[in-house]
Amino acid sequence: MDFTFTAEENAFRQEVRAFLDAELPPEMAFNHEFNEDPDLWRFAFEFTRKVGARGWIGLTWPVEYGGLGRTQTERLILAEEFTARDAPMVNAIGWGLAAGALLVGGSEEQKKRFLPGIAAFDRFWAEGLTEPDSGSDLASLSTRAERDGDDWIVTGQKTYTTWGHHADVMFLAARTDPEARPHHGISVFCLDLKAPGVSLSPLYNMAGGRQNHTFLDGVRVPGNMLIGEEGKGWSYIMNAFYAGGGAGARHAEMRLMLDEVIDYCNTTTRGGVLLIKDPIVRSQLAELELMVETERLLTYESLSNATNRRPPQFGGALGVVVSKENKPLFAQTISRIVGPLAQLRQESRWAPFDGGAEAWYRWSYANHAGGTSQVKRMVLATRGLGLPR
Amino acid sequence: MDTTLDDGHEELGRIARQLFEARCPLTTVRQLEQDDVGYLPSLWDEMAGLDWLSLTYPEALGGSGGTLVDLTVIYQELGRALVPSPHLASAVIAGEALVGEDSGRHHDLVASMVAGRTIVVPALMEAGADFGPDAVTLPVRDMPAGYEIDGTKILVPYAHVATRLLVAARTQAGPDGTTLLLVDPAADGVAVTPMPNIGDVPLFAVTFDRVQVSPEDVVGEVGQGWSLLGPALDRATVLRCAEMVGAGKRLLELSVEYALQRKQFGQPIGQFQAVQFLCTDIAIDTHLSELLCHQAAWRLDNGLPARRQVSLAKAQASRAIQRIVHRAHEVHAGVAFMVETDVQLYTRRAKHWEFDLGDARYHDDVIAAGLEA
Repeated sequence: MDFTFTAEENAFRQEVRAFLDAELPPEMAFNHEFNEDPDLWRFAFEFTRKVGARGWIGLTWPVEYGGLGRTQTERLILAEEFTARDAPMVNAIGWGLAAGALLVGGSEEQKKRFLPGIAAFDRFWAEGLTEPDSGSDLASLSTRAERDGDDWIVTGQKTYTTWGHHADVMFLAARTDPEARPHHGISVFCLDLKAPGVSLSPLYNMAGGRQNHTFLDGVRVPGNMLIGEEGKGWSYIMNAFYAGGGAGARHAEMRLMLDEVIDYCNTTTRGGVLLIKDPIVRSQLAELELMVETERLLTYESLSNATNRRPPQFGGALGVVVSKENKPLFAQTISRIVGPLAQLRQESRWAPFDGGAEAWYRWSYANHAGGTSQVKRMVLATRGLGLPR
Repeated sequence: MDTTLDDGHEELGRIARQLFEARCPLTTVRQLEQDDVGYLPSLWDEMAGLDWLSLTYPEALGGSGGTLVDLTVIYQELGRALVPSPHLASAVIAGEALVGEDSGRHHDLVASMVAGRTIVVPALMEAGADFGPDAVTLPVRDMPAGYEIDGTKILVPYAHVATRLLVAARTQAGPDGTTLLLVDPAADGVAVTPMPNIGDVPLFAVTFDRVQVSPEDVVGEVGQGWSLLGPALDRATVLRCAEMVGAGKRLLELSVEYALQRKQFGQPIGQFQAVQFLCTDIAIDTHLSELLCHQAAWRLDNGLPARRQVSLAKAQASRAIQRIVHRAHEVHAGVAFMVETDVQLYTRRAKHWEFDLGDARYHDDVIAAGLEA
């Protein structure tokens, strides 16, 4: 048992901070899930290329595929430091989902063909899993990929396509075998979004971000764009995220937000009393501290399990449920601390800490991405606790 | 970074679980609730024999090189089995305070405690039922032959079997004004009265009517008592959290078992999503409490500042145990309301745990104090 990092790990943390000091001007830091500002996005692309040039996109990947072969702990440290400063390292679908799927199931040839490019941020990947009728029940997806000689012809519709309008390619999950059981008939592909038959229509979300419907109308996908083996797509998707090094550090974002709120409470009075001295606010701040601390420890627990190759407790679902359900509660508690001014947008000069309370509350309802909180609860109950389906 | 216990801890947990299952099944817990003594002296002796009364003490004072994390493992099993025990009061709070005394003036008393022959319990809380150094107001008067105390302490655990009470009193105003005094409950002017409570925990009100205390019975330095008591209370707080974690794990098992076995409308009730979600709440609350408890214990073992982590652990556990018990009642429904079933044993004891050693309100305030500019 050890709740600290080693000296070497802390040295890496300092290295990451120095990189951010040099490459991330504070005014260019932004949450790229919820902001479409073109100048910021231009910066984000350059920034991400620099991260790639440093070798850090594929930090944990084997060296022969463009990675640095470093540890999962270091990958988490990178995530913590980047998240703590809103560093816009884009292309999570590429370096997380697609690279993860390749590392889990790709052939040697595919790994060598795709991974070095992803490590250098050679192209932007969009997520192509969710469909209008297949969200939580992703295995029911119906986008069809039919063999045509060496190629595939893809027809169907994807939705909530995050970053589709920025992307060059899509990490596509499609049904290649309609006769097989749902989880066994899915394959994953790299689909060129510039190919004929692809069209997007925008979906704007309440966080100020843009997602898309993606229409795939007889799109030709070359055979060598199948990732891994036909029919094994589901297992790649389920195992991809950690394999690619997509260690989440949401606690670092919460810490960033909470520190702004604490600062506000230390400098703002209500009825002549500093908010930080108000017993109700103190209790609310303690609850927020508990959320941040427990999510931090859950992340470290996941890391411990991965590093020591131990299967996670509770079917691996407990941490996910907590972080999904906490998001709106965290933002709502902040609203209650701030009071009526929490409703003000950034553009109002009266908005506290640059409109943070208002914005974070709107963002918080993105919490169901990757599966609703109730579905994850069901996984916790069934796979985790052994209750009957 | 590794948040998990070692194999050695798993083994210690197994030993503790088997011992408590054998010596103190829930039928015994029920009997002890009605019993005047309220705990098992024979089990106390056995724990002394295993060195569990002095596990983390320095070796010269009977310690065996154990850690606070080791003790959390034992305490999870104490909580699971609902063993009523003076361990926290005597071996941890009073014991660690006495062990920490530089002068070594009371090492004979410690030796007797370690051997299981003597129980010493802390008398901390006063009528305002507040916790922490500022809540100690019982005045100490200087007398020609020593000191005099006059007033009341409440919620004193196991006072009825204690050879000595470790009384926290105030010699002067301000943060450095607490003095610890050893008082014989059988001395002139001391009256011990039971405080009947929902958990049937042996808790007592102790009144001091101009009780005389000699200078040898001061523990540590006059006015410096909190420097001994504070760290002992931090350790006890973490262990209380571990106890709640153990109880939470057992309540999760009971709730899942019940949900699998109880059938209504042609299926196990565990197939209904509402029931599933209640069980998942118990799992989450228990698990988060465990993570925070382990972090605090590990930091204390490694000499790292832990004020914040101790309070985070107890602020969580105090809330969690109430929610856990509530969810267990929701799952078991009417059955849990009946005295003959076991859930209510946990429910009633949990009400003591929730408020012991600082409730959520107290620890929220400690956490918030750490955020002040």
